[in-house]
Amino acid sequence: MIQTQLNKATTVRKTFSRTTSISTEIVSDPGIIWALLTNASDFSRWNSTITSLEGKIELGKKIQLRSILDAKRVFKLSIKEMVPENRLTWGDAMGKRTFTLVSIGNGLIRFTMIEKIGGPLFPLFAGMIPSFDASFEQFAADLKKESETIMNAN
Amino acid sequence: MTQDELTETFQTVQGQLKSYILRIAASVEDAKDIVQDTYLRATEKRETFRGDSSVKTWLFTIASNLAKDNLRVKKRWVENVTDITKEAALSNPAFFSEAMQIRATSPQGQFEIKEHIVFCFTCISKSLPLEQQLSIFLKEVYEFKVSEIVQILDTTEAMVKYYLHTGRSKMIQVFDNRCALINKEGVCHQCSELNGIFNPQQQQQEELVKLDLVKQAEKADKEHLFDLRMQLLQEIDPFESPAAELQLHHLEHNRTVMETFLKKNDQ
Repeated sequence: MIQTQLNKATTVRKTFSRTTSISTEIVSDPGIIWALLTNASDFSRWNSTITSLEGKIELGKKIQLRSILDAKRVFKLSIKEMVPENRLTWGDAMGKRTFTLVSIGNGLIRFTMIEKIGGPLFPLFAGMIPSFDASFEQFAADLKKESETIMNAN
Repeated sequence: MTQDELTETFQTVQGQLKSYILRIAASVEDAKDIVQDTYLRATEKRETFRGDSSVKTWLFTIASNLAKDNLRVKKRWVENVTDITKEAALSNPAFFSEAMQIRATSPQGQFEIKEHIVFCFTCISKSLPLEQQLSIFLKEVYEFKVSEIVQILDTTEAMVKYYLHTGRSKMIQVFDNRCALINKEGVCHQCSELNGIFNPQQQQQEELVKLDLVKQAEKADKEHLFDLRMQLLQEIDPFESPAAELQLHHLEHNRTVMETFLKKNDQ
Protein backbone atom coordinates (compact mmCIF):
# COMPACT_ATOMS: atom_id res chain seq x y z
CA MET A 1 0.00 0.00 0.00
CA ILE A 2 1.48 3.32 -1.06
CA GLN A 3 0.95 6.28 1.27
CA THR A 4 0.28 9.34 -0.82
CA GLN A 5 0.47 12.91 0.40
CA LEU A 6 -2.14 15.55 -0.26
CA ASN A 7 -1.05 18.06 -2.93
CA LYS A 8 2.60 17.06 -2.55
CA ALA A 9 4.37 14.50 -4.69
CA THR A 10 6.33 11.76 -2.97
CA THR A 11 8.94 9.61 -4.63
CA VAL A 12 10.18 6.33 -3.21
CA ARG A 13 13.38 5.03 -4.79
CA LYS A 14 14.44 1.40 -4.68
CA THR A 15 17.21 -0.44 -6.48
CA PHE A 16 15.00 -1.73 -9.26
CA SER A 17 12.15 0.75 -9.23
CA ARG A 18 10.95 4.25 -8.53
CA THR A 19 7.43 5.19 -7.49
CA THR A 20 5.98 8.69 -7.51
CA SER A 21 2.57 9.46 -6.07
CA ILE A 22 0.26 12.32 -5.19
CA SER A 23 -3.32 12.86 -4.03
CA THR A 24 -5.63 15.82 -4.11
CA GLU A 25 -9.19 16.44 -3.01
CA ILE A 26 -11.55 17.82 -5.63
CA VAL A 27 -14.99 19.35 -5.09
CA SER A 28 -16.59 18.06 -8.25
CA ASP A 29 -18.54 15.24 -9.81
CA PRO A 30 -16.59 12.04 -10.55
CA GLY A 31 -18.15 12.06 -14.04
CA ILE A 32 -16.49 15.38 -14.80
CA ILE A 33 -13.08 14.26 -13.52
CA TRP A 34 -13.39 10.99 -15.40
CA ALA A 35 -14.36 12.80 -18.61
CA LEU A 36 -11.30 15.04 -18.30
CA LEU A 37 -9.03 12.06 -17.71
CA THR A 38 -10.37 10.05 -20.63
CA ASN A 39 -10.80 12.64 -23.39
CA ALA A 40 -7.39 12.43 -25.06
CA SER A 41 -7.81 15.23 -27.59
CA ASP A 42 -8.79 17.73 -24.87
CA PHE A 43 -5.95 16.91 -22.45
CA SER A 44 -3.44 19.55 -23.48
CA ARG A 45 -6.07 22.30 -23.19
CA TRP A 46 -6.38 21.98 -19.40
CA ASN A 47 -3.28 20.03 -18.41
CA SER A 48 -0.11 22.10 -18.57
CA THR A 49 2.15 19.07 -18.13
CA ILE A 50 1.03 17.33 -21.32
CA THR A 51 1.78 18.93 -24.66
CA SER A 52 -0.18 16.44 -26.73
CA LEU A 53 -2.06 13.20 -26.34
CA GLU A 54 -3.12 11.33 -29.45
CA GLY A 55 -5.29 8.25 -29.75
CA LYS A 56 -8.31 7.11 -27.79
CA ILE A 57 -8.31 6.39 -24.10
CA GLU A 58 -10.18 3.12 -24.32
CA LEU A 59 -9.27 -0.27 -22.85
CA GLY A 60 -6.65 -2.01 -24.98
CA LYS A 61 -6.06 1.03 -27.20
CA LYS A 62 -2.70 2.80 -27.61
CA ILE A 63 -2.02 6.46 -27.02
CA GLN A 64 0.93 8.67 -27.85
CA LEU A 65 1.82 11.14 -25.14
CA ARG A 66 4.20 14.09 -25.20
CA SER A 67 5.09 15.64 -21.89
CA ILE A 68 6.88 18.81 -20.79
CA LEU A 69 9.42 16.58 -19.05
CA ASP A 70 10.94 15.56 -22.38
CA ALA A 71 9.44 17.48 -25.29
CA LYS A 72 11.21 15.41 -27.95
CA ARG A 73 10.13 12.03 -26.69
CA VAL A 74 6.86 10.35 -27.59
CA PHE A 75 5.63 7.87 -25.00
CA LYS A 76 3.68 5.05 -26.65
CA LEU A 77 1.40 3.71 -23.97
CA SER A 78 -1.38 1.14 -23.72
CA ILE A 79 -4.57 1.57 -21.79
CA LYS A 80 -4.38 -1.34 -19.38
CA GLU A 81 -7.30 -0.82 -17.03
CA MET A 82 -10.48 1.26 -17.08
CA VAL A 83 -13.16 1.20 -14.42
CA PRO A 84 -15.44 4.18 -15.15
CA GLU A 85 -15.25 7.00 -12.62
CA ASN A 86 -12.91 4.90 -10.47
CA ARG A 87 -9.66 3.65 -11.97
CA LEU A 88 -7.54 4.19 -15.08
CA THR A 89 -4.12 2.70 -15.82
CA TRP A 90 -1.85 3.30 -18.76
CA GLY A 91 1.70 2.18 -19.29
CA ASP A 92 4.41 0.44 -21.28
CA ALA A 93 7.05 -2.20 -20.64
CA MET A 94 8.95 0.12 -18.31
CA GLY A 95 6.17 1.22 -16.05
CA LYS A 96 2.59 2.15 -15.44
CA ARG A 97 0.60 5.10 -14.17
CA THR A 98 -2.65 4.58 -12.28
CA PHE A 99 -5.28 7.20 -11.57
CA THR A 100 -7.96 6.51 -8.97
CA LEU A 101 -11.04 8.43 -7.91
CA VAL A 102 -12.71 7.75 -4.56
CA SER A 103 -15.70 9.59 -3.16
CA ILE A 104 -14.95 10.62 0.43
CA GLY A 105 -18.23 12.37 1.23
CA ASN A 106 -19.46 15.97 1.27
CA GLY A 107 -19.05 16.17 -2.50
CA LEU A 108 -15.30 15.57 -2.23
CA ILE A 109 -13.46 13.22 -4.55
CA ARG A 110 -9.98 12.03 -3.66
CA PHE A 111 -7.87 11.82 -6.80
CA THR A 112 -4.68 9.77 -6.58
CA MET A 113 -2.01 9.32 -9.23
CA ILE A 114 0.78 6.78 -8.86
CA GLU A 115 3.50 5.97 -11.36
CA LYS A 116 5.88 3.07 -10.90
CA ILE A 117 8.78 2.59 -13.27
CA GLY A 118 11.37 -0.10 -13.05
CA GLY A 119 12.66 -3.51 -14.02
CA PRO A 120 15.88 -5.51 -14.03
CA LEU A 121 17.73 -2.89 -16.08
CA PHE A 122 16.35 0.07 -14.14
CA PRO A 123 19.62 0.77 -12.22
CA LEU A 124 21.38 1.40 -15.55
CA PHE A 125 19.16 4.28 -16.62
CA ALA A 126 17.68 5.48 -13.33
CA GLY A 127 19.96 8.49 -13.25
CA MET A 128 18.77 9.69 -16.65
CA ILE A 129 15.09 9.85 -15.75
CA PRO A 130 14.08 13.28 -14.44
CA SER A 131 12.10 13.73 -11.25
CA PHE A 132 8.33 13.57 -11.74
CA ASP A 133 7.53 15.45 -8.54
CA ALA A 134 6.89 18.95 -9.90
CA SER A 135 5.01 17.57 -12.90
CA PHE A 136 2.79 15.43 -10.63
CA GLU A 137 1.95 18.39 -8.44
CA GLN A 138 1.08 20.48 -11.48
CA PHE A 139 -1.02 17.68 -13.02
CA ALA A 140 -3.06 17.29 -9.83
CA ALA A 141 -3.47 21.07 -9.45
CA ASP A 142 -4.61 21.45 -13.08
CA LEU A 143 -7.12 18.61 -12.75
CA LYS A 144 -8.51 20.06 -9.52
CA LYS A 145 -8.82 23.54 -11.00
CA GLU A 146 -10.49 22.44 -14.24
CA SER A 147 -12.87 19.98 -12.53
CA GLU A 148 -13.99 22.57 -9.99
CA THR A 149 -14.35 25.27 -12.66
CA ILE A 150 -16.66 23.04 -14.69
CA MET A 151 -18.63 21.99 -11.59
CA ASN A 152 -19.26 25.63 -10.67
CA ALA A 153 -20.04 26.82 -14.20
CA ASN A 154 -23.41 27.50 -15.80
CA MET B 1 -51.95 16.33 -24.46
CA THR B 2 -54.33 16.12 -27.40
CA GLN B 3 -53.16 15.67 -30.98
CA ASP B 4 -54.25 19.23 -31.72
CA GLU B 5 -52.13 20.56 -28.84
CA LEU B 6 -49.14 18.57 -30.07
CA THR B 7 -49.59 19.83 -33.63
CA GLU B 8 -49.93 23.40 -32.44
CA THR B 9 -46.73 23.27 -30.39
CA PHE B 10 -44.90 21.48 -33.17
CA GLN B 11 -45.85 24.20 -35.62
CA THR B 12 -44.54 26.81 -33.19
CA VAL B 13 -41.14 25.17 -32.78
CA GLN B 14 -40.59 23.43 -36.10
CA GLY B 15 -38.55 26.34 -37.50
CA GLN B 16 -36.18 26.13 -34.55
CA LEU B 17 -36.06 22.35 -34.79
CA LYS B 18 -35.19 22.50 -38.47
CA SER B 19 -32.40 25.04 -38.01
CA TYR B 20 -31.06 23.08 -34.99
CA ILE B 21 -30.88 19.83 -36.93
CA LEU B 22 -29.42 21.57 -39.97
CA ARG B 23 -26.65 23.00 -37.81
CA ILE B 24 -25.97 19.60 -36.28
CA ALA B 25 -26.16 17.53 -39.44
CA ALA B 26 -25.08 20.11 -42.07
CA SER B 27 -27.56 18.51 -44.43
CA VAL B 28 -30.77 20.09 -45.73
CA GLU B 29 -32.29 16.72 -46.56
CA ASP B 30 -31.47 15.24 -43.16
CA ALA B 31 -32.86 18.31 -41.41
CA LYS B 32 -36.16 18.06 -43.28
CA ASP B 33 -36.42 14.28 -42.78
CA ILE B 34 -35.56 14.39 -39.09
CA VAL B 35 -38.02 17.17 -38.35
CA GLN B 36 -40.76 15.27 -40.17
CA ASP B 37 -39.83 12.06 -38.33
CA THR B 38 -39.90 13.99 -35.06
CA TYR B 39 -43.53 14.87 -35.62
CA LEU B 40 -44.41 11.30 -36.56
CA ARG B 41 -42.54 9.88 -33.56
CA ALA B 42 -44.17 12.42 -31.23
CA THR B 43 -47.59 11.48 -32.58
CA GLU B 44 -46.89 7.79 -31.97
CA LYS B 45 -45.65 8.47 -28.45
CA ARG B 46 -48.08 11.24 -27.58
CA GLU B 47 -49.86 9.20 -24.91
CA THR B 48 -46.58 8.45 -23.14
CA PHE B 49 -45.87 12.17 -22.63
CA ARG B 50 -46.23 12.75 -18.89
CA GLY B 51 -45.48 16.45 -18.73
CA ASP B 52 -42.11 15.96 -16.99
CA SER B 53 -40.77 18.61 -19.36
CA SER B 54 -42.28 21.18 -21.69
CA VAL B 55 -43.58 19.88 -25.01
CA LYS B 56 -40.84 21.90 -26.73
CA THR B 57 -38.14 20.15 -24.67
CA TRP B 58 -39.75 16.80 -25.43
CA LEU B 59 -39.78 17.52 -29.17
CA PHE B 60 -36.12 18.58 -29.06
CA THR B 61 -35.37 15.32 -27.20
CA ILE B 62 -36.96 13.26 -29.95
CA ALA B 63 -35.22 15.27 -32.68
CA SER B 64 -31.85 15.04 -30.89
CA ASN B 65 -32.18 11.27 -30.56
CA LEU B 66 -33.00 10.92 -34.25
CA ALA B 67 -30.05 13.17 -35.13
CA LYS B 68 -27.73 11.18 -32.86
CA ASP B 69 -28.82 7.92 -34.52
CA ASN B 70 -28.12 9.52 -37.89
CA LEU B 71 -24.74 10.98 -36.93
CA ARG B 72 -23.31 8.36 -34.57
CA VAL B 73 -21.78 6.35 -37.39
CA LYS B 74 -20.47 9.37 -39.30
CA LYS B 75 -16.99 10.76 -38.77
CA ARG B 76 -16.62 14.11 -37.09
CA TRP B 77 -15.24 16.95 -39.20
CA VAL B 78 -11.89 18.62 -38.59
CA GLU B 79 -11.06 22.08 -37.22
CA ASN B 80 -9.59 23.27 -40.51
CA VAL B 81 -12.72 22.31 -42.45
CA THR B 82 -12.87 25.75 -44.08
CA ASP B 83 -9.35 25.37 -45.50
CA ILE B 84 -10.17 21.96 -46.97
CA THR B 85 -13.49 23.05 -48.45
CA LYS B 86 -12.04 26.29 -49.81
CA GLU B 87 -9.39 24.36 -51.71
CA ALA B 88 -12.05 22.04 -53.12
CA ALA B 89 -14.23 25.00 -54.15
CA LEU B 90 -11.34 26.72 -55.90
CA SER B 91 -10.72 23.64 -58.02
CA ASN B 92 -14.40 23.25 -58.86
CA PRO B 93 -15.60 25.94 -61.33
CA ALA B 94 -19.16 24.61 -61.15
CA PHE B 95 -19.40 25.60 -57.48
CA PHE B 96 -18.82 29.31 -58.13
CA SER B 97 -20.88 29.27 -61.29
CA GLU B 98 -23.88 27.86 -59.37
CA ALA B 99 -23.30 30.25 -56.49
CA MET B 100 -23.17 33.28 -58.80
CA GLN B 101 -26.40 32.13 -60.44
CA ILE B 102 -28.08 31.93 -57.02
CA ARG B 103 -26.64 35.32 -56.10
CA ALA B 104 -28.05 36.85 -59.29
CA THR B 105 -31.49 35.26 -59.35
CA SER B 106 -32.64 34.08 -55.93
CA PRO B 107 -34.55 36.25 -53.46
CA GLN B 108 -32.52 34.41 -50.82
CA GLY B 109 -29.25 34.79 -52.67
CA GLN B 110 -27.70 37.75 -50.87
CA PHE B 111 -24.27 37.45 -49.37
CA GLU B 112 -23.88 38.90 -45.89
CA ILE B 113 -20.78 38.58 -43.77
CA LYS B 114 -22.77 37.84 -40.62
CA GLU B 115 -24.50 34.96 -42.41
CA HIS B 116 -21.13 33.54 -43.32
CA ILE B 117 -19.92 33.86 -39.71
CA VAL B 118 -22.90 31.75 -38.67
CA PHE B 119 -22.28 29.28 -41.49
CA CYS B 120 -18.62 29.05 -40.48
CA PHE B 121 -19.53 28.21 -36.88
CA THR B 122 -21.87 25.47 -38.09
CA CYS B 123 -19.04 23.87 -40.07
CA ILE B 124 -16.35 24.15 -37.40
CA SER B 125 -18.65 22.99 -34.60
CA LYS B 126 -18.84 19.66 -36.39
CA SER B 127 -15.27 19.03 -35.27
CA LEU B 128 -16.47 18.84 -31.66
CA PRO B 129 -17.55 15.52 -30.18
CA LEU B 130 -21.29 15.17 -30.89
CA GLU B 131 -22.51 15.67 -27.31
CA GLN B 132 -20.45 18.85 -26.99
CA GLN B 133 -21.84 20.18 -30.26
CA LEU B 134 -25.44 19.39 -29.27
CA SER B 135 -24.99 20.98 -25.82
CA ILE B 136 -23.47 24.16 -27.23
CA PHE B 137 -26.33 24.67 -29.70
CA LEU B 138 -29.02 23.82 -27.18
CA LYS B 139 -27.65 26.20 -24.54
CA GLU B 140 -26.06 29.02 -26.47
CA VAL B 141 -28.35 29.25 -29.49
CA TYR B 142 -31.71 27.74 -28.51
CA GLU B 143 -31.41 28.93 -24.89
CA PHE B 144 -32.30 25.72 -23.07
CA LYS B 145 -31.39 25.53 -19.40
CA VAL B 146 -28.82 22.99 -18.23
CA SER B 147 -31.63 21.03 -16.52
CA GLU B 148 -33.50 20.84 -19.84
CA ILE B 149 -30.38 19.73 -21.73
CA VAL B 150 -29.99 16.97 -19.13
CA GLN B 151 -33.44 15.72 -20.22
CA ILE B 152 -32.81 16.19 -23.93
CA LEU B 153 -29.49 14.34 -23.93
CA ASP B 154 -30.53 11.87 -21.21
CA THR B 155 -27.40 12.45 -19.18
CA THR B 156 -26.34 14.03 -15.89
CA GLU B 157 -26.02 17.69 -15.00
CA ALA B 158 -22.30 17.15 -14.44
CA MET B 159 -21.81 15.81 -17.95
CA VAL B 160 -23.79 18.63 -19.53
CA LYS B 161 -21.57 21.09 -17.66
CA TYR B 162 -18.54 19.21 -18.92
CA TYR B 163 -19.80 19.22 -22.53
CA LEU B 164 -20.62 22.93 -22.40
CA HIS B 165 -17.37 24.02 -20.80
CA THR B 166 -15.15 21.85 -22.96
CA GLY B 167 -16.99 22.56 -26.20
CA ARG B 168 -17.06 26.28 -25.54
CA SER B 169 -13.36 26.36 -24.59
CA LYS B 170 -12.46 24.44 -27.72
CA MET B 171 -14.47 26.70 -30.02
CA ILE B 172 -13.01 29.83 -28.42
CA GLN B 173 -9.53 28.42 -28.98
CA VAL B 174 -10.21 27.47 -32.60
CA PHE B 175 -11.67 30.87 -33.52
CA ASP B 176 -8.98 32.73 -31.62
CA ASN B 177 -6.36 30.91 -33.65
CA ARG B 178 -8.12 31.10 -37.00
CA CYS B 179 -10.59 33.95 -37.37
CA ALA B 180 -9.09 37.12 -38.83
CA LEU B 181 -12.17 39.07 -37.70
CA ILE B 182 -11.11 38.76 -34.06
CA ASN B 183 -7.39 38.15 -34.39
CA LYS B 184 -5.16 40.09 -36.77
CA GLU B 185 -2.89 37.05 -37.00
CA GLY B 186 -5.83 34.76 -37.83
CA VAL B 187 -5.33 32.64 -40.94
CA CYS B 188 -8.93 32.58 -42.18
CA HIS B 189 -10.33 35.57 -44.08
CA GLN B 190 -12.94 33.59 -45.95
CA CYS B 191 -15.96 35.73 -45.07
CA SER B 192 -14.18 38.86 -46.35
CA GLU B 193 -12.88 37.08 -49.43
CA LEU B 194 -16.34 35.82 -50.36
CA ASN B 195 -17.85 39.21 -49.67
CA GLY B 196 -15.40 40.66 -52.19
CA ILE B 197 -16.59 38.14 -54.78
CA PHE B 198 -20.34 38.39 -54.16
CA ASN B 199 -20.53 42.09 -53.23
CA PRO B 200 -17.72 43.70 -55.26
CA GLN B 201 -19.16 47.21 -54.94
CA GLN B 202 -19.54 47.09 -51.19
CA GLN B 203 -17.34 49.06 -48.80
CA GLN B 204 -16.27 46.02 -46.87
CA GLN B 205 -14.79 47.77 -43.87
CA GLU B 206 -18.03 49.68 -43.34
CA GLU B 207 -19.96 46.42 -43.37
CA LEU B 208 -17.57 44.76 -40.97
CA VAL B 209 -17.68 47.47 -38.34
CA LYS B 210 -21.47 47.14 -38.18
CA LEU B 211 -20.87 43.83 -36.43
CA ASP B 212 -20.37 43.94 -32.66
CA LEU B 213 -18.09 40.92 -32.99
CA VAL B 214 -15.71 42.97 -35.13
CA LYS B 215 -16.18 46.27 -33.27
CA GLN B 216 -15.28 44.69 -29.96
CA ALA B 217 -12.60 42.35 -31.26
CA GLU B 218 -9.66 44.26 -29.82
CA LYS B 219 -10.98 45.20 -26.41
CA ALA B 220 -13.39 42.42 -25.44
CA ASP B 221 -12.28 39.17 -23.85
CA LYS B 222 -12.52 35.88 -25.71
CA GLU B 223 -15.53 34.69 -23.75
CA HIS B 224 -17.49 37.80 -24.68
CA LEU B 225 -16.50 37.51 -28.33
CA PHE B 226 -17.81 33.96 -28.29
CA ASP B 227 -21.11 35.21 -26.82
CA LEU B 228 -21.35 37.80 -29.61
CA ARG B 229 -20.81 35.04 -32.17
CA MET B 230 -23.59 33.06 -30.50
CA GLN B 231 -25.88 36.10 -30.68
CA LEU B 232 -25.49 36.07 -34.45
CA LEU B 233 -26.51 32.42 -34.52
CA GLN B 234 -29.58 33.23 -32.46
CA GLU B 235 -30.57 36.03 -34.83
CA ILE B 236 -30.29 34.11 -38.10
CA ASP B 237 -32.61 31.39 -39.33
CA PRO B 238 -30.57 29.48 -41.93
CA PHE B 239 -33.72 28.55 -43.89
CA GLU B 240 -35.44 31.91 -43.85
CA SER B 241 -32.70 34.54 -44.04
CA PRO B 242 -32.04 36.68 -47.14
CA ALA B 243 -28.86 34.66 -47.70
CA ALA B 244 -30.40 31.23 -47.08
CA GLU B 245 -30.18 29.73 -50.55
CA LEU B 246 -26.61 30.85 -51.10
CA GLN B 247 -25.45 29.59 -47.71
CA LEU B 248 -27.32 26.28 -47.98
CA HIS B 249 -25.72 25.71 -51.38
CA HIS B 250 -22.33 26.35 -49.76
CA LEU B 251 -23.17 24.04 -46.84
CA GLU B 252 -24.13 21.20 -49.17
CA HIS B 253 -20.83 21.70 -50.97
CA ASN B 254 -18.87 21.58 -47.72
CA ARG B 255 -20.67 18.47 -46.50
CA THR B 256 -19.99 16.63 -49.75
CA VAL B 257 -16.33 17.68 -49.69
CA MET B 258 -15.91 16.66 -46.04
CA GLU B 259 -17.56 13.28 -46.52
CA THR B 260 -15.16 12.55 -49.36
CA PHE B 261 -12.19 13.91 -47.41
CA LEU B 262 -12.96 11.88 -44.28
CA LYS B 263 -13.52 8.72 -46.26
CA LYS B 264 -10.22 9.21 -48.08
CA ASN B 265 -8.27 10.05 -44.96
CA ASP B 266 -10.19 7.71 -42.65
CA GLN B 267 -10.12 10.24 -39.84
